Amino acid sequence: MAFGALFNLALVSAAAWALGNFSWSLVPTWAHENAWILPSVYVVYALLKIAIVPSWRYRVHRWEVNEDVIYTRAGWISRAWQLVPVNRLQTVDHTQGWLERIFDVATLQVRTASYAGSSTIEGLDAEEARRLSEELAVRAGTLRDDAT
Amino acid sequence: MDPRQDPHELPEPHQNPQSPPSEPSGNGSGGWVAPGSTPDTPEAPGPATPPPGHHGPAAGPGHWWPTTPAPPGSPTFAEPAEPEGGAFRSWWGEDPAGPGPPFGVETARRLSPRTLVVGPIIQIRGLLLPIAAGLVVGGFNPWILTATLFAVLGLLIGGFVTWKTFRYEIGEERLEIRSGLIRRSRRTIPLERVRGVDVTSTLLHRVLGVAVVRIEAASGAAGATEDGKLDAVDAAEAERLRTVLLHRKAVLSGRSEEATTTGEEGATSVAATTSAGTDTSGSVTAPEDDTVTYFRMPRTWYLFGALSVGHLVTPFVLLATLFGMVQQSAGQMATDFLVDWVTSTDRGFLVVFAAVSVGVLVLLMPVFAVVSYALTHWGFALRGRDGSLVAERGLFTRRSVTLERRRIRGYELRDNPLERTRRAVRLRAIVTGLGDTANRAVLLPIGPRPKVEEVVDRALDLFRGRLTRHPRAALYRRLTRAVLPFVVVAGAALYLDLTWPAIVAGALALLGVPLAVDRYRSLGHGYDGERVSVRSGSLQRGQATVERSAVIGWTWTQTLFQRRSGLADLQVTVGAGAGGYTAQDASLGESVDFAGRITPEMVRPFLMDDEGPRADTT
Repeated sequence: MAFGALFNLALVSAAAWALGNFSWSLVPTWAHENAWILPSVYVVYALLKIAIVPSWRYRVHRWEVNEDVIYTRAGWISRAWQLVPVNRLQTVDHTQGWLERIFDVATLQVRTASYAGSSTIEGLDAEEARRLSEELAVRAGTLRDDAT
Repeated sequence: MDPRQDPHELPEPHQNPQSPPSEPSGNGSGGWVAPGSTPDTPEAPGPATPPPGHHGPAAGPGHWWPTTPAPPGSPTFAEPAEPEGGAFRSWWGEDPAGPGPPFGVETARRLSPRTLVVGPIIQIRGLLLPIAAGLVVGGFNPWILTATLFAVLGLLIGGFVTWKTFRYEIGEERLEIRSGLIRRSRRTIPLERVRGVDVTSTLLHRVLGVAVVRIEAASGAAGATEDGKLDAVDAAEAERLRTVLLHRKAVLSGRSEEATTTGEEGATSVAATTSAGTDTSGSVTAPEDDTVTYFRMPRTWYLFGALSVGHLVTPFVLLATLFGMVQQSAGQMATDFLVDWVTSTDRGFLVVFAAVSVGVLVLLMPVFAVVSYALTHWGFALRGRDGSLVAERGLFTRRSVTLERRRIRGYELRDNPLERTRRAVRLRAIVTGLGDTANRAVLLPIGPRPKVEEVVDRALDLFRGRLTRHPRAALYRRLTRAVLPFVVVAGAALYLDLTWPAIVAGALALLGVPLAVDRYRSLGHGYDGERVSVRSGSLQRGQATVERSAVIGWTWTQTLFQRRSGLADLQVTVGAGAGGYTAQDASLGESVDFAGRITPEMVRPFLMDDEGPRADTT
């Protein structure tokens, strides 16, 4: 997220710089003079977001796998609770991006026959994600019925 | 490896027993370049004069494949190759001592020869306007004439090559389609995987008595399908194919899933197996007719077409197409003519003319709607046979869609406000892995609700429960969402002294009130012990009903605003149809309870003290 914020900041700064340096006639003068406000506001916003959102998300996000069902809770302002029965699983994806590898976490995605029935668990401990994905795959295989 | 691939990969044995062909053997299938695809290739000996021995069926045997079908009842190369002794296996059925053909094996078949007429015509139809325009604009320039001639010839020859090289064959357990001259393709569809057989025939097809058969099959990936297309076969053959394919499929899946197949469906397929198994004539027998007709379109139902918005706009669509065509073919000339006419004619007359034509169009809208609706829905019939539902309709283009019962997870009733005034609904099936649901899942035309429900009751299972209304807070949310944006816009416009935008936004905001009320009134969810039903929407209201066993998950989502009023959207996940059906703005506690009643094994473990799934908040 911090990287995304940096990228956005660069974009916004570029826009503000362009605004301040080229005197386009259709832009009112007060905008020319105060162009620097835009990136600074964004910096404040991004900092707040970086400071608050991850911990907030961390507090909200939960997952639980019992014998038959995978239960996840996600979101921060809006929330989503999802129940996915293991015997309807079709694929279990276990992915790890480069950033995730640095922090040794992983993402687990389970899919069912319905696009709406897919569930993603982010930020799992890598070792646990691997164990969980294997276990789910095996169990989905044994419990499996038509899966639709 | 599939033993049946052998004969195909060894084309030489085809030629050995017969008189050697005039061409050098070994490249019997690729001796010359398809003139149809590359009419100007220098190596090709001229597209108009294909090599000798190409056209006449007399040169057929041993050329590519046997042109004459092998004697009926004899084992052809369709039969699985048993590892029997002998260097050369006779692919020609000259071995009477060989075992009789296994049940269900038939000889490879060809498309109808009439394809030679239909295919090029259909292909040319798309090119007709450009060609005509080119001819007219080019002033019948000899070069353009020649090019056109070559293009038409190319199409004809291409059609011939396709027909000549196309073979299909229903084996014991699979359907095989082979085609292509240069790039051979061979598609094998296990009969167990056949999901549906669609038969379509346009007016042209029907004049010539042929039909296009599309065989839809499930492939390995979820939701993906792999189709086989037979374009085109005799109408009778299409009917036979449909019956045979679905019957074989029912038998095969009945055999492998005897335990899971339930009720009469299993019983009929087992019975059919025994009756067909005793048949030794060697060809696939059509199963006895167990067709049930659920519905036949009454005359008066065509009038409901006037309620369908899609058909109401037909005159405009037609006009647009017409303009497009004129634009495309005559382009600048037409525009100039129009501009000239408009500028030179009297103003008053123009206004009257425009008003009259718009009035006529509006008056004609219902008429056009009924006519176009009748064209597409003519003679709508819904039948059930061999564990499938078959919906057939259309006047000029007749189309019949077969949906396997096993894949139907429920149904959806849809209506718009216009249709609600006449208490009319349309019925769609919720089917797993079906593409183009807007056309193919249609089970009934628009009709009065009681009649439709009666058909549903007989063909599928009707939802008999009552729908639970959603809490009052949902109404306020609907109102806010329908009205607030326009109120804001109106306010801003007033503030900025823009009269017209303010009036428009205000009117829209007022219109939003009845819309929101209606949207609230249509919200509901219910469960009758076997089926789950969810309803929402106003301008396009839909009530989806699925079997309990089809529910493959639940998702609750709650926005900040919903949390304040204790509401949540509950999405029923279904591996069919749209994938999920949402009960908007249900009360969170009640919806959790609801889900708990339907799939206790899924929901109960996560409940704490009769509260929602949020109860385990830390």
